[in-house]
Amino acid sequence: MSAAYILIWGCMLLFGCSSICALLWAIRTGQMTGSQEGANSIFDAAEPIGKPTDAFPGAKR
Amino acid sequence: MSVTATEINAAAPDPEGYVNERVDLLTRVQIDRSCRQTVVWYYASAVVWLLLGSVFAMLSSIKMHNPDFLANYEWLTFGRVRPVHLNLVGYGWSSMAAVGTLLWLQARLCKVRLPFRRVLPVTCVIWNLTVFAGMIAILAGYSQGIEWLEFPPQALGSFAFIFVILLATSLKMFAERKVKHTYVSQWYLFAAVIWFPILYSIAVVSMQLPSVTGAAKATINWWFGHNTLGLWVTPVAIATSYFMIPKVIGKPIHSYHISLLGFWSLALFYNWAGTHHLVGGPLPAWIITVGIVGSMMMLIPVTTLAINHHLTMIGSFHMLKTSPTLRFVVFGSMVYTLVSAQGCFEALRSISRVAHFTHYTVAHAHLGLYGFFSMIMFGAYYYILPRLTRNEWSSAPLIKVHFWTAAGGVILYFAALTWAGWYQGEMMNNANIPFIQTVEYTRPYLIARSVGGMLMSIAHICFAILVWRILRTKPVSQFHGPTLLANPQSEAGLAS
Amino acid sequence: MNHRLTFYLGVLASILASAIGLVAIPNWQFRDLKPFMDDQGYEHPIAPFGARSVGRRVYTDLGCLYCHSQQVRAANFGADIDRGWGTRRSVARDYIFDNPPLMGTMRTGPDLANIGARQPSRQWHALHLYNPRITSPGSIMPSHGFLFRRTNVDGTPPVEAVLLPAKPGEAAAYIIPTERGEALIEYLKSLNHTYELPEAK
Repeated sequence: MSAAYILIWGCMLLFGCSSICALLWAIRTGQMTGSQEGANSIFDAAEPIGKPTDAFPGAKR
Repeated sequence: MSVTATEINAAAPDPEGYVNERVDLLTRVQIDRSCRQTVVWYYASAVVWLLLGSVFAMLSSIKMHNPDFLANYEWLTFGRVRPVHLNLVGYGWSSMAAVGTLLWLQARLCKVRLPFRRVLPVTCVIWNLTVFAGMIAILAGYSQGIEWLEFPPQALGSFAFIFVILLATSLKMFAERKVKHTYVSQWYLFAAVIWFPILYSIAVVSMQLPSVTGAAKATINWWFGHNTLGLWVTPVAIATSYFMIPKVIGKPIHSYHISLLGFWSLALFYNWAGTHHLVGGPLPAWIITVGIVGSMMMLIPVTTLAINHHLTMIGSFHMLKTSPTLRFVVFGSMVYTLVSAQGCFEALRSISRVAHFTHYTVAHAHLGLYGFFSMIMFGAYYYILPRLTRNEWSSAPLIKVHFWTAAGGVILYFAALTWAGWYQGEMMNNANIPFIQTVEYTRPYLIARSVGGMLMSIAHICFAILVWRILRTKPVSQFHGPTLLANPQSEAGLAS
Repeated sequence: MNHRLTFYLGVLASILASAIGLVAIPNWQFRDLKPFMDDQGYEHPIAPFGARSVGRRVYTDLGCLYCHSQQVRAANFGADIDRGWGTRRSVARDYIFDNPPLMGTMRTGPDLANIGARQPSRQWHALHLYNPRITSPGSIMPSHGFLFRRTNVDGTPPVEAVLLPAKPGEAAAYIIPTERGEALIEYLKSLNHTYELPEAK
């Protein structure tokens, strides 16, 4: 019982800590920069930012 | 941004910009065409299961307040039609709509054509046969008797095969992607394709092992049951809204950098949340505590999503009037914030003491799978199907009827059962009130639930008519409708 | 690209961690649970056998678990014990022979962990399953008429017959459970967790 308890919390702690480490690592190595580029990656020249791409049928553009 | 690139192009034709635009348009048309057969098959099948699932939903709901309705047929007894409803909407509608959306989104986000175009439609056929066989098995009395795992264990064979193909498809598209940046939706889609087969196989195999005892099986049951929602359908819906909201309004996501935090916190905590279904049950405290902690930690991904989805919408709410996709997807993601926040607190012992074992939980489940997931899938259909079939939706009023009956139905359903469930729980915890009073108290609300269900069924019939028409009519040669993107002439030229 | 690998490993690790925590560890913890032998040398719980085990299958395939739980919560958590649904809280050992588990998550109807102790009568169960409104007015449980054969009284009914309450203007009738019906009744009568276990004192 207590072994399971330690194991489970150990697991959660381990994964929690490793996720925080991963986050810090990501920030330090610049994974978080260029995020605007990521957000813009779904737009292109044919469907640029600022252009709505859906409307009810029959509506006038 | 008030001036769009198209407007600039129109004002001062710039040869380079024009070429880029043509190339992007051509790529997009080719990708959509490569997805056409597979996604249309998955989408059409999903709608059939949605309709059939609604029939079984209505049967179950009516039987709750009129217990003698169709009670003479063993195969139509409440205890069989209810799990059939769950499995049809879970594995038929939700999962098949999710696969269709997932494949299209991945192809679009990687900017590559869908691979394995011969075998993917076969997986759709196998999927349909599996759900059909599972439905017959439950009606005939061969249910496994485990919530969310009622299908005979042989279903594992089909799902394993299908998911091997789906995983290979995802990996191949990702390996050959033409886009430098991996958009946030991709993480969710990938993770979902990896998570579901692992979940399903571990759950089915351990349920079959005689050496695993009852209490452990109950834990595994809810590890699986909750994760099917959290790690399979939820990521697909989140990925969809991460794509649809910015794409439809033409504005990038508000805080892209925190989406990473949202993804990993979901991956880390949702896994552990399922055992809150066993609060108060005959299990050691640590199992339940883990479930409660996991559920509370879900506040982190829920908050990041709320920031990204709702703040992106600020300034664009007027477009809810003009875009069917946006209307459904934004409704869905608003409900996601609500239902997830509710779920976090519902896991607490003090709330569970009342809400567990009551209709309150049923209301919560429907708000999640319908108000959040299904509404986002409807939105995805409205965006994706015109692009695949090169057709317009046939009727704007019918889409509006679909939206309002679906939204009204699920709100009525949720309100009635949440209220009834809470008081049912309060009465149940007071030993001075005879049990039968908890039954009699809920009965009017169960009738209200049937009314809500009827509204949702009407919504599904409208939806099915729209899907039927868009699939049945021949592609239009002139592109004048607004859903079919900007440049009618050039696109018509490319398609022919 | 090593970022992609990191991603895949992270996704795998997150699910495998919970599989260890919520599949492997509970199984390992409950694996060695054995029935408890009381002072008289009786073992608790016992594995369902014969008609009871058939009846358990009937209970499963008719979906009784969607409305009935089989677990008693502790005295400080809800009113299960005050309602007389059990004498003590249920514990993991009560379920070592349960396959599939039928703990349930819904109480549209009352808890059945100890229904055999509350209602030991075959006649009560037969009437209740045939038409729940006979024994429990106001109930919304479906009738299970397909588990019985109904016959009008003509001479002396057989010993296994259960007489239906007389209704004005209707001929007297009795019901006989089918094999599946009899098995289900046997199973329900066997549901009894009132024995004592050291960990649930």
